[in-house]
Amino acid sequence: MNFELNMTIGDLLLLLPEIFLTLWLCLVLIVDFAFPRLAKEQLAYLSVVGLVVTLGCLAWFDMAQISGALFKNMFVLDRMAIFFKMFIVGASILVILASIEYVNRFAFFRGEYYFLIVMSALGMMFMASANDLLSLFVTLEFSTFGFYVLVAYLREDLASNEAGLKFFILGVFAAGLLAYGISLVYGETGQLVFSDMASAPATPGLIIGFLLIFAALGFKIGAVPFHTWIPDTYHGAPTPVTAFLSIAPKGAAIALLLRLFFVALFTFKPMWVLLLAAVSVLSMTYANIVAIAQTNIKRLLAYSGIAQIGNVLIGLAAGTKMGNDAILFYLLTYLFANIGAFAVVIAMSQAIGSEEINDYSGLNRRSPFLAFSMLLFLLSLAGVPPLAGFIGKIYIFVAAIKEGLYTLITVGLINIVISMYYYLIVVKKMYIAEPIDPSPIRVSGPMKAVVYVGLAGTLLIGIYPQPFIDWVVSATMMFSHLPAPAATALPPIPPLGG
Amino acid sequence: MGDYALLYILFAPFFGALALIFVSNRQTLLVRGIAAGSAFISLIASLYLFYTYDPVLGGYQFVQRFEWSRQLGIALYLGVDGIGTPLVLASSILLFAGIFVSWHIKDRAKEFYIWILILAAATIGVFMSLDLFFLYFFYEMSVIPMYLLLGMWGSHTKKYLEMTDPEGMKQRDSVGFIFNFGSNSKEYAAMKLVLFLSAFAVAAFMGILLIYKYSGLNTFDILVLREHASTLMHIPVLGTTLDKIIWVLIFFGFASIAPLWPLHSWSPVGHAAAPAATSMLHAGVLMKLGHFSIIRVAFEILPETTRELMPMAAVLCMFSIVYGGFVAYYAKDTKYVIGYSSSSHMGYVFLGMAALDYISLSGAVIYMFAHAMATGMLFSMAGWVYDQTHTRDIPSLGGLSNKMPFISACFVVGCMASIGMPGTINFIAEVMIIVGSWNKYPLQVVVAVLGIVLTMAYLFKMMRSLFYGPMDQKYSHAYDAVAFVDRLPLLIMISVSIGFGLFPMHLYNVVRSGVDPLIAKITHVVPVAAAPALDAPAPALHEQLAARGVQLPDSRAAQ
Repeated sequence: MNFELNMTIGDLLLLLPEIFLTLWLCLVLIVDFAFPRLAKEQLAYLSVVGLVVTLGCLAWFDMAQISGALFKNMFVLDRMAIFFKMFIVGASILVILASIEYVNRFAFFRGEYYFLIVMSALGMMFMASANDLLSLFVTLEFSTFGFYVLVAYLREDLASNEAGLKFFILGVFAAGLLAYGISLVYGETGQLVFSDMASAPATPGLIIGFLLIFAALGFKIGAVPFHTWIPDTYHGAPTPVTAFLSIAPKGAAIALLLRLFFVALFTFKPMWVLLLAAVSVLSMTYANIVAIAQTNIKRLLAYSGIAQIGNVLIGLAAGTKMGNDAILFYLLTYLFANIGAFAVVIAMSQAIGSEEINDYSGLNRRSPFLAFSMLLFLLSLAGVPPLAGFIGKIYIFVAAIKEGLYTLITVGLINIVISMYYYLIVVKKMYIAEPIDPSPIRVSGPMKAVVYVGLAGTLLIGIYPQPFIDWVVSATMMFSHLPAPAATALPPIPPLGG
Repeated sequence: MGDYALLYILFAPFFGALALIFVSNRQTLLVRGIAAGSAFISLIASLYLFYTYDPVLGGYQFVQRFEWSRQLGIALYLGVDGIGTPLVLASSILLFAGIFVSWHIKDRAKEFYIWILILAAATIGVFMSLDLFFLYFFYEMSVIPMYLLLGMWGSHTKKYLEMTDPEGMKQRDSVGFIFNFGSNSKEYAAMKLVLFLSAFAVAAFMGILLIYKYSGLNTFDILVLREHASTLMHIPVLGTTLDKIIWVLIFFGFASIAPLWPLHSWSPVGHAAAPAATSMLHAGVLMKLGHFSIIRVAFEILPETTRELMPMAAVLCMFSIVYGGFVAYYAKDTKYVIGYSSSSHMGYVFLGMAALDYISLSGAVIYMFAHAMATGMLFSMAGWVYDQTHTRDIPSLGGLSNKMPFISACFVVGCMASIGMPGTINFIAEVMIIVGSWNKYPLQVVVAVLGIVLTMAYLFKMMRSLFYGPMDQKYSHAYDAVAFVDRLPLLIMISVSIGFGLFPMHLYNVVRSGVDPLIAKITHVVPVAAAPALDAPAPALHEQLAARGVQLPDSRAAQ
């Protein structure tokens, strides 16, 4: 395989957001070292500025419909990649804003924290564009690298160290599986780019290779049975890192799964539908049942996140363009609800120093704003109208029923009821139980901003989803060749009366 | 207002709730004012709606349609027919009355009004939805406010499991045990209500999704579906036909909120735990969501299946009537009595629906309206008595008529209305149900008449032990409702009940205009000749629909 690089400056335009963010990353690091006296919040705002510019650039790409591929199709920039990049950058901005207060807890390396967050975001942006097995491996490891450090950031805290170690060992194990899977697939097909292996015959080596790759990506999104690292890591990690970990890597890994299943493996659809259905049922049922017993809000949200991924996999199992639209839409609703819920957890953790559900007792009397926000976020995760999560779930179910996935939908619907139980337990504590310590809770400005963004997203998508649906539908244009139930013109509205 | 009446009715409470978020809890008068004001707008608009609905024209009027999502085939499609109109009116009357019933709430009054406005608005939304998605949307939306209302402002159900018969023997709600884990806390009642209703709601939603898929029309629009869907769904599956499965899912999914025996056990506990205004809305209109949704979805979209399977409801409704009546007789908690009486009375509505007759179905709809007023009165007065005496234990109360003559007089009227005394609208409704279903279900009619006797027994028993006989001196501080705001809700509900009882013709005409086309469709439908194979609508149907200008998407076999 000869490797020549002939590209123009115009091609580099496609890499503009990444190049800019890399430079900005260096700037953040330089500023941190050059001005040691500088208040570290300024670094946070500096990073946010860089990310906002990147977001603006991506939005421009999206509107100008700029797309293309680089480096012999290793890196693609299509509208789906842009969607996921915006998703990741948006999540990073919100996470950084939510961290500002929390960072004061770290004894050392407060400046590098922001550097690491942005670096992970950069890795995930590459991940969203990865289009062959090599870039899949490199970008996946690149993005995870920052997280290994971030999870163990509370040096004095045993739980954080344990979380870091657990995440590292299992993560490296997953990376080993991934590398092995890639070598098997390459050995069988001699191809690296996804689209080139679309017509490969189903040899045992290829199937095992893809299963190993799926296991590594399943580790990233935290689907059962690859979820074992999630509860402890989420519990021990610094809360803003947990928030980041629960959203952005899932988005990036879903982008890779979409490319893998719909580009490389579409001929094997009947097989992977079964695989995804099984993983989805396991994720939803196991996580929802285990979540009932949790007493720590971070663990509860960890299990809820696993269950949400089960819902996303229903959409993936549908295997149609509409299913993919529904996944993107669902991730959008999940972003706002989850980041909002974690923002409340961070604010509470700052104020009362605890993340136990029992300590949320009487939150409604202590801070009606936080309680009401948490209520809406949890209900959105549970899928209650008129909040975003409800529309997300309905979208996925509608996409799945068109493919006749009755069992999956039945399990999904039953799980909505189960999940409602544990979300309502938190609501019960916040609203019905009386506070032990009735002192009011103060919320800092940036934190309020994050909660407001979460609320705005959750309510707006729930009440007026059409623009967002249009966005995700255009973002998955690359799948429009899939055989899908044609969007029929609505039959004429019959005359009223009678 | 004219054409936009439905939007005013639906969105006034929503915007009221939104406005309340920005008001401080300390400005008590402003909080109450906003709540009452938005309820008042809703009430005026629904009175306008009720009196300008043209029963001669019939059909869906005041229609509003806003495209909501093209890809999913959802539109915010609002409109009322003769069945929805009186129920919208009942909801807004009860909301307005409920605001005044809870006028004296001290603890977090603002939040209370926010949730009660959202609850009422969501209920109203169901009554005017012409889109299956929005019907489910509003239905689900009405459940969560109940959780908070019960949990935050409710009271524990102390005497829930203890019941004694006149001989002093211990009795127990022995059928409710299926889902009864026996806790007496309000948290338990609230959680049970939400989980129970959600569990059955998702069953109904599965039915809705199946209609969506097998109609192949890519729309949730009820008016489109009722024209085209039923012919497409006679598909053999699992030893029966698909339409029957869908019908059963939808019927039992929605019947749980109605509540039909044996799915009732969440309801009396919920009533007993809820604050007065919430019980009023819960028993008055929330329970009617069940009947209404069955009529709107199962009757409209699957008329033939309804004709085949509705006798099932006629059997179950007997148990509802008798079982509810007996438990109400033995119960010792005032709200528990009224709660079980409601669940018993909902059996009459099911009887009226099951007979599939012009008169009986109209009677059922009018009964829903009538019951909303009667039960609203009783619950608001039970709430008043509880506020004054801090107990709902019937045996320990007594002689309160000395202390609260106005309440006691109203209670008599409420009981009379609940029994179906001539002069109240309940009488007309009961007579219509009984007359209409006599031909088809004489046994059930006999049971229903016995049920009326039973109603008299427990209501008179409760009335006597609450208001007459010797009074315990510890209740000497109890006060009557003297202030205008306290009397207003009762006066409204009494005057509506008696007013329509004396002049029922407009109500009757409106209801008939909605019921007639429905019954005509159900009882005179042409049976479908051929049953197409699973998942593949026969070509003949495709062509038939194509001729009507309906394009079907590829319907490929389910894997």
